[in-house]
Amino acid sequence: MSEAIGIFALFLIMTLIPLAASEQHINLKALSVFWTVFTVLSFEAIVVEWARMTADLVDEEEDPHFGLPDIWDGKQTVCVHFPQDLAPEGFDKGRKHIDNDGTEFMSDKDWNETGACIGGFSNFNNGWDLFNAAVNATGGAFPINSTDSSWGVFVDSIAGVDPSTMSGNFEGAYWAVYHNGALSPVGIKDLTLDDDSVITWRVDTW
Amino acid sequence: MLDAHAITIGPEGMLAVNACMLFSIVWALWRTERNLQSGSDWTILAMLVLFAVSGRVLLDPIPNVQPVTVVVLMVGIYYGVPRAVLVAISVTLLSNFILGHGLWSLYQALGWSIIGVIGSISANSIRVGSQLNLNRLAAVSATSAFIFGFIASFSALHSIGTENFLPYLVAGIPFDLLHAVGNLAFVAWMAAPVSEIITRHHSSPNHVTVREFASD
Repeated sequence: MSEAIGIFALFLIMTLIPLAASEQHINLKALSVFWTVFTVLSFEAIVVEWARMTADLVDEEEDPHFGLPDIWDGKQTVCVHFPQDLAPEGFDKGRKHIDNDGTEFMSDKDWNETGACIGGFSNFNNGWDLFNAAVNATGGAFPINSTDSSWGVFVDSIAGVDPSTMSGNFEGAYWAVYHNGALSPVGIKDLTLDDDSVITWRVDTW
Repeated sequence: MLDAHAITIGPEGMLAVNACMLFSIVWALWRTERNLQSGSDWTILAMLVLFAVSGRVLLDPIPNVQPVTVVVLMVGIYYGVPRAVLVAISVTLLSNFILGHGLWSLYQALGWSIIGVIGSISANSIRVGSQLNLNRLAAVSATSAFIFGFIASFSALHSIGTENFLPYLVAGIPFDLLHAVGNLAFVAWMAAPVSEIITRHHSSPNHVTVREFASD
């Protein structure tokens, strides 16, 4: 949204400059050139911002993208869902949606989980690479700690939330990775992705 | 074997090449017009079609910026509905032979034809005597961009469901905006000279040709 405001402010400034001209026909010629050049150069940003502003959430429950912005259809997404009482500040009310350039553009306060989804990615073949790209896109909001083992990468904590420190009516808890809604049979580093894969991290217990 | 076409100059380079070609076409048309005799309506219409087709094809790298809408609007203003529809359909067909011809061509032709009708309907308010009211023409051309976009979007109904039509329309608004802005530029720079050319060559409807002079 801030980028849209910046584009609009620049547009206003570029409009006011030629209005200072005294001749009306020069106004229209100068204005039209300014507007055309400005719109062409900022067109890509305008399209992206407009898509974000008019995005809707997918409402088909069978769709792996259920509850995600429809502009991520056909794209790859990473979601992180925190336990309600352990969610970091800012991610404790519903689910936020962050685009692949780090822009937070939507939030679903009615979602029955807390956390965030980072999406709009493409051309990632491996789950670990996508996950790292998503973490980088948040600009450090989701630091991860992981351990390499003979069985692959084990994610210890995400955004400071470490399930091994949780207590309750269970023996243990861990960060589990889901792929398109189903528990992944392989670790994140061995996970092969589709063009529209949705990776979800949530805390499971045993 | 030498391949003279093995050159890649990128999209910006191609746009520059296209702009040079379009400028050359416009210059050649302008020089040609100087030597035309008055009353050459069909010649002027053919030149406008040539300019519109060239402009649409050569400006294709810039989405939705093309002179067709303003040309059809002005043909509607000066020549009326039938000729505006003819120009609209001709430009659509000829340019789509290069850009891609399909079911969408019908909706584009329909959209531009309706723009021609709008031009004809608004002629009295835009054309004041022999002068064009550029501000009104600019307003109509900008509005025409959205009208055209709405009509042309109906072609998408053949591939997307009706429930997706409104989101499709909404997603296309930035493209209609670019179309409108481009129309303003064409009005600002091209409407007055085109108006002069049309006025100079427009055959009067009251003109009557006699084959023989009456004898005394």
